[in-house]
Amino acid sequence: MIQKKICMVGVFGAGKTCLVQQFVHSIFTAKYHSTVGVKIDRKTVQADGTDVTLMLWDLAGRDRDGDISVSYLRGGHGIIYVVDGTRRETLDQIFELRTIVREAIGEVPSVVALNKIDLKESWALTPGDDTALAKEPWHILRTSAKSGEGVDATFNWLAKATVAGASR
Amino acid sequence: MTAVEAFGLTDVGSVRPRNEDHFVIASMRKSVTIRYSSLSADEMHRWLGGGAEAYLFAVADGVGGRPGGELASGAVVTRLLGYVGRAAGCYHQFNVDEEHQFLERLEQSIRDTHEEILRSHGAADKAPATTLTLAMLVGRRAYLVHVGDTRAYYLRGSRLRQITRDQTIGEYMMDLGAWTEAQAAKASAGNALSSAIGGSEMSPSVGLIDLEPGDALLLCSDGLTKHVDDQQIAAVLGKPVSAEAAAQELVAMALAGGGTDNVTAIVARIA
Repeated sequence: MIQKKICMVGVFGAGKTCLVQQFVHSIFTAKYHSTVGVKIDRKTVQADGTDVTLMLWDLAGRDRDGDISVSYLRGGHGIIYVVDGTRRETLDQIFELRTIVREAIGEVPSVVALNKIDLKESWALTPGDDTALAKEPWHILRTSAKSGEGVDATFNWLAKATVAGASR
Repeated sequence: MTAVEAFGLTDVGSVRPRNEDHFVIASMRKSVTIRYSSLSADEMHRWLGGGAEAYLFAVADGVGGRPGGELASGAVVTRLLGYVGRAAGCYHQFNVDEEHQFLERLEQSIRDTHEEILRSHGAADKAPATTLTLAMLVGRRAYLVHVGDTRAYYLRGSRLRQITRDQTIGEYMMDLGAWTEAQAAKASAGNALSSAIGGSEMSPSVGLIDLEPGDALLLCSDGLTKHVDDQQIAAVLGKPVSAEAAAQELVAMALAGGGTDNVTAIVARIA
């Protein structure tokens, strides 16, 4: 059985835990709980005919009290950067977090999940943001932890990419 | 090597006829003693990693109103000790794959205990059940496995954070957005467990946290948190006193607050 460590990275409240809960348990958690340390879940998916167990490391979000802990990233095979599409500043921080991740574990397959697309009226990202994101070597998907849209696609893409060793 | 000072105690409380809480603090040392060699003993110890130590802390709270709650919480703690012996070979110098393997084995030992309880008592509603909060400290990394409403907290500086989330019906309904916090507090089923070892549902939650020198770790049963709030816990853990003094003060506060349940606390200080 192939195992891949996937780290969920982003600012607090972006929806990292909700994406994992939706993917693993098919539930949406309406109440916000900040993650303390790392919560670990796992799910086995198929990638190109191979069973891959994704070990999902849901890291505490970056907040004013502290940055993400580099020690948690060690050994990561893939990264999901989670952006709250209704909070523009969470996108800016993704670029900073990417630098931290790259310094810690190098270039690994990565996805940016532009989360909360169900909140269309509050969407704060612009076409210019899409252009800026597209310049980086990561895969970009729009997700809703609430409706489930794009959630399986995000994790499945990363499973496939980590197995293939692809970076994009 | 991380120096850890830890102490735990349990008290039946002022109302319950018997104590269905159990706890354990255990340490493991893996070392190699060089008897004779032409090589430098210091250099060899550096490579062999002699003296690495791991700690196991666990609190289990037998579910009241079921037969044998004490039995279930005791069985879980005993089984964990057996597991620790088997896992001793793998806590030392993890690589990432071994870390996942280790967590899986830890979680599996809890699933096995759950199955064993159900097998020996028939239906889930007749079996003794228990909560469990377990922390295994390897270096400064604490691996946590949690079932039910016993809790783990840590204090860093003056900030207390609850690491575990209660697995209760109230929390579950709030997660779904079906209940507000006020509704959960009022509902008679709000405090009922949504997950317990030996219960009809059992979903261990797995996580980890890297602790720092000066941090304090607290594992406790709900007999403590029913009477001692987060602010009071932070004040006690923040005092420059031993783990023993802190644990004793916390339990004394729960008893002074009414002691309506069995109360258990483990305090560990990271030097």
